[in-house]
Order: sequence, then C-alpha cells, then structure tokens
Amino acid sequence: MKIGFIGLGAMGAPMAGHLLRAGHAVSVWSRRAASADSLLAMGATRCASPAEVAAASEIVCTNVTGSADVEELAFGPQGLAQGFAAGGLHVDFSTIAPSAARRIAARHAERGVGFVDAPVSGGSVGARAATLAIMWGGEPALATRLQPVFEVLGKTVVHVGPTGAGQVAKACNQMVMVAAIEAAAEAARLAAASGIDFAKVRAAMLHGSAGSRVLEVFGERMATREFAAGVEARLHHKDYALLLDEATRLGVSLPVSAVVGQQLNALMAMGWGRDDTSSLLRVLEAGDPPDPAQ
Amino acid sequence: MKVGFIGLGLMGRPMALHLEKAGHELHLWARRPESLAPFAAVNAKTHASPAEVAKHAEVVIVMVADAPDVEAVCLGADGLAAGGKPGLIVVDMSTINPNAARSIGLRLADKGIDFVDAPVSGGETGAINAALTVMAGGEAAAFEKVKPLLEKMGKSVTLIGDSGAGQVAKACNQILTGVGVLAVAEAFNFATRSGVDAGKVREALLGGFAYSKILENHGQRMLDRNFKPGFKAWMHQKDLRIVMEEAHRMGLMLPSAAATAQVFNAIVGSGMGENDSISALMLLEKVSTPAT
Repeated sequence: MKIGFIGLGAMGAPMAGHLLRAGHAVSVWSRRAASADSLLAMGATRCASPAEVAAASEIVCTNVTGSADVEELAFGPQGLAQGFAAGGLHVDFSTIAPSAARRIAARHAERGVGFVDAPVSGGSVGARAATLAIMWGGEPALATRLQPVFEVLGKTVVHVGPTGAGQVAKACNQMVMVAAIEAAAEAARLAAASGIDFAKVRAAMLHGSAGSRVLEVFGERMATREFAAGVEARLHHKDYALLLDEATRLGVSLPVSAVVGQQLNALMAMGWGRDDTSSLLRVLEAGDPPDPAQ
Repeated sequence: MKVGFIGLGLMGRPMALHLEKAGHELHLWARRPESLAPFAAVNAKTHASPAEVAKHAEVVIVMVADAPDVEAVCLGADGLAAGGKPGLIVVDMSTINPNAARSIGLRLADKGIDFVDAPVSGGETGAINAALTVMAGGEAAAFEKVKPLLEKMGKSVTLIGDSGAGQVAKACNQILTGVGVLAVAEAFNFATRSGVDAGKVREALLGGFAYSKILENHGQRMLDRNFKPGFKAWMHQKDLRIVMEEAHRMGLMLPSAAATAQVFNAIVGSGMGENDSISALMLLEKVSTPAT
C-alpha cells in the first residue's frame, strides 16, 4: 500500500520503519530534513510538503505532539488537505484533545477525506518492538483498510467507538498510568523514610495484588534512581492538561487526577520535564535537607 | 466623557447605568438587540459594531464572558481595533486568563490603543450597588484616566501592576473564595454529621482566627439553605479553570485549588451550575450519611 508518514520522532521513526519492512511504499516529510535520513536509507521517498505526501498516499499517518500541530499539518499552508484525493484517509497517532480530533474529522469530511484518531500506548520501546496498544476511534467500516497498517505496528488493536473515542481511551490510559506512577513514587518514599530498601519492597509487591506493569517498569527506575526517559514527563504533563480540561468541560470530578496534575506541575518547575515520569519520586524528595554524603 | 460599553448582561447593565447616571454619554453595541432595551430612555447611542463604538468613544469598557469573547470584541472583524483611534483606552472588566489579557494588550498597543485589565469581585449585588472591588493592570497613565469611571462602579479601585496584573489578582481572589466556600461547606457538614448545630459553630468561630467574610456571609446562606446566586457555580468553575491553566503553564503546584476545581466540576456536572457556589454543601451532603 502507498502510505505517508509525518512525525518521525522517537515514536514515529520506528513505526514508519516497520511499515517499510512490511513492504509498503512509504512517503515522508519532516520539518527537520535529518529526521528522515535513516528512513530514506531504508527506501522511503522524501516529499517537499505534507500536501505532496497526501497526494502520493492512500493513507497518511501522523504522530506529532499537540492538537495545534495536527491541525497545522492537516489544514495549514501546503497541508494534507491540499494534497488528498477524495477517499483519502488520515490516521493520527498523536495524543490530542478528543474535541480537536472531532473537529479535524469534520473538516476532512467536507472534502471527502476520512479521519481516524488512533493514539497509542507503549512508548518508544513499544514502537520499536511493534508491540504498541492502538486505541482507535472512527467509522468501524474502515477497520479493513486500517488492518495492514495497524497489524505491523501494534500487538493490541481496539476499535473504541466513533471519532474521538480513541483519544478518550488514551486520556483514561494516561490517567490510570500516571496515577500508578505517583502511587509507586509514594510507596518508594514511605519505604525510604522507614529506612527500608524499596527494591526489596517492589520485589515483594510485584507478584501480589499491587503488582502492575507500572510498578515493574517505573518502580525499577525509582529503585535504581535511573531517571533518564523512558517517557518524557513533559508529555504526561501535556496530557494532564487535556484530560483535566475535558473533566471541566464535561462536569466530572477527578480528584486523584487533579492532585497528580499538581505533582506534574511541580516536576516541570524543577526542570525535569525531559526526564522520565518516575521523577515524580524526586518531587516528593524536593523538600528534603541536602544529602550530607554529597 | 464619551464611554463605550460592550457586554450588557447581569453585571454590565447596572454598571453602564451607573456611568450614565454620573453624566457620561454611553455608546453601545450588543450581540442581542434586546440587551439594549433598558437604555432606550437614557443618554445612550447604539451602534452597528464594536468598531463603530470605538470610533465615537474615548474609553470603551468590555464586560463579557471569557477570553475568546474579549478577543472577538477587541480584535475580530469590526472589532474595537478596527475603529479605535490612537489614544483610545479599552478597559476589560471580564475575568479572563492573565496571559490572554497580556496578549490582547500587546496587540491593541500595536494600534496605539491602551488596554487596562480591570476584573471585578462582588457579583451582581456589587454591580447594582456600585460596590465592586476593581483590580486593575496596565499603564499608570491610562489607569489614572479611567479611574474616575471605575470609581462610579466600584467601592475599591486598585492598580495592582502591569498588564495582566488585575487578572492575576482576580485569579488569587478566586482561589481564596473557591477554597474558602468549600472549607466552610466541609466544616458545616462535619458539624452536622457529628450531631452539632452548624449555626452555633459558625457563631463561635466568627469571633476567632477562622473568621472570614465567607464564613459570615456564605455561611449564613448555607444555614438558610438559600442557594440562589449570588455568584453562580459555573462561573466559579470557569474562573478556577483559568487558575489551573495558568498553574499548568507556569509549572505551579496548587493542590487545594486543584481539589476544589474538581468539586466545582461535580457541582456543575450534577446540574447545580446555575445555583450559587455554596451548592458545594449540597454536593457534600449527597455523599454523606444522613444527619443524626
């Protein structure tokens, strides 16, 4: 299939690589030309604009940061909308506001172009290993067309509901995951304050009722004080603005998420936004007296 | 003075009428023509657009709902910037995001138009009684020119600092009032569920360190179970949204405000948004065992 890919970062580049290896013809465009080099070496074609990518592709995938980035790619000057033929399909893997996804879908529909929101969970590790969890929203009939793309990128693919439903699922995912990271950090804090080795506590908990993927992965980073990303905390911080904004819009109370959002604010202020979200442990330690050993 | 006024709602209407009573000539535009009806018999001219209002006025006061509305009135097609001459002063008395206020101020400055953010506290009652608290941000020279107008609408008028500073003060005000109303509701619910008369608790506390206007006024209305606004819960929710957006932008931890904002989400979500903010009490009661 002829597939376009825009957004060749830590997630997008390996995803586009999998599509190439699966035998698809992949067209790319990137703001910084160098981001595409490794894919060109694998046989991808470079385009001069998003519009050119859309003109050359049956499906265009995007994986960028914010709602505004996706809207700019789709409808900005030389955007996808100017290149798509009627019947084209835009698959957005970015994490954006559900309302933004619905807005983008409506604008594409005016031109007969389809849109699917398909945010993913699993991080750059999952992207490289092609084990992402893909949660998508849009016309269920598109499933057959999407199958060849999704099957080479992810292990779990769930059609959640209509447009925007994928983003709602992703918001739920972030809420549950980051709250669990905060809980792990607080456990690490309590253990350390009690003079107990958190690595042992973690090992004990891992196969009990409190065992979780977060405790396994992020708990280990905390135990070994390995705070390099992983998942950059600034991205979770961004996602919390989205989900708390939805809570306001819908009039639902999310007390734990609100508190976690505040811990993330403090994390950003401490300058750890590009470190791993396990840095939430360091936020809890921020008020401690300096370590005399250092 | 020739004063433009845009935003003739519950707050704006009485505020504009105070200015007219003080002898100023009003220049009005309204999205909905029926908003202009109360001004038919007074010294007021109506116009076809904000741009037309700006053409005829020395100062234009804006009192609308949120940042996108202020942007549209100031900088949209046929907005104030399209009609205002250099030297015009725009006073925005709406409650909006401080950062949005700074941005609007900068873009108006490009056209030689001065911008003062001057949000208010005191609600509809304060507007009707000309007893509002006005918190202003902007250039001192522009503030001094509009201060006599603000004093016709408010009892306390303070220049807090540069552009956006008025909105920062208002945000602080909403943190204190939001958290404060919830604290009083929690204390009263705690007393009641403990089998103790909340009215007696209030009376005792008014003499001590927990005294506050909120305990006195909002507390009394909770005891009277008078949930009429006052200040509508959905507006408090909106103002806390602004506070939390700024906290996110600056990387600032506001744990109490964050928790309070979630309670206001629940108040609005459960259909009490048009009630006064003290409806927080009813929300707490819904999830409490009946009083003994």
